[in-house]
Amino acid sequence: MTNQERTDPKAGLPLQTGITDALPIVLGYLPLGFAFGVLAKNTGITVFQATMMSLLSFTGAGQYIAIGILKAGGAVATIIMANILVNLRYLLFSASTVPYLKDRVPPPLGALLSYGLTDETYAVAMTRYRNYYPTTAYLAGLNITAHLGWIGSTLLGALAGNYIADTGELGLGFALPAMYTCLLVLMIERRPHLRAAVAAAVTCLATGYLFPGTMESLSNIILATIIGATIGVISDQSS
Amino acid sequence: MIIAVSAASLLPRILPVALLSRHQLPAPVKRWLSFVAPAVLGALTAVSVFAPDGRLDFSPGNLYTWAFLPALLVAIKTRSLFYTLLTGIGVLAILNRFLGI
Repeated sequence: MTNQERTDPKAGLPLQTGITDALPIVLGYLPLGFAFGVLAKNTGITVFQATMMSLLSFTGAGQYIAIGILKAGGAVATIIMANILVNLRYLLFSASTVPYLKDRVPPPLGALLSYGLTDETYAVAMTRYRNYYPTTAYLAGLNITAHLGWIGSTLLGALAGNYIADTGELGLGFALPAMYTCLLVLMIERRPHLRAAVAAAVTCLATGYLFPGTMESLSNIILATIIGATIGVISDQSS
Repeated sequence: MIIAVSAASLLPRILPVALLSRHQLPAPVKRWLSFVAPAVLGALTAVSVFAPDGRLDFSPGNLYTWAFLPALLVAIKTRSLFYTLLTGIGVLAILNRFLGI
């Protein structure tokens, strides 16, 4: 994502770019997926089940919540409710990719590949779409590579689960925050973008502070996104 | 349970692309959607740095805030994902090592 790569904005993104764009994401998922595998194993879930969870749902926060509730002996209905809350933000994410994907990626394929939509793949793809046209190949390379990273790290964690109780700190915990930070910087091209981001950040933290439950379920991100995007539009019109 | 969690996590991602792609979105909606990405990243950055454990933590003991500042500077300066990750992870690893947390 350096300046040198911005030579031909009209060109569609190749598969190869999708795969290389996913590598930093995989690096960020490694500790998280690994830790999930370890935790799942320690909760009494089999290696196969843990891996299937990562294959079928691909929701970091949602899977951690599921394990937490299972461990506490909670109901399956609670797990499902929490997961609906945690994943609701993807409605907004997914909808905002539509203007880009339209006429470039066939809707059935686009919908299928949106299976791999996460906070990270979304952010990386949207940064790319500012300068390049999306392609099915790029979306496939990015989302599938990221998903394989998540599944693979879960499998490794679950296999290692018998030997490890604490995943330890190598600084890898900061991989995702660092990634968000950089993608945030890349997203801000004009002042209204900055206002949208700051408004969302403040709303998110304030909501999480007032209603701690929303911070754990990440549902504060939904409200923050709505308020942030609205403030961005308003400030764009007035300037 | 796994199937239900799977459905809850996948439907919100798949449905908008599946349904909205058939229609032309009105211009004001498109404009609003174009601000979703910066807003989402503002929110995600804020939560991951200032509430790494699901609770607000503005104390000096929150090492993520210390790693965030150099990472932000490097991101603005280089606009490179690689150098930003390297800086953030490196600073946090050093802090962890010296503070023994």
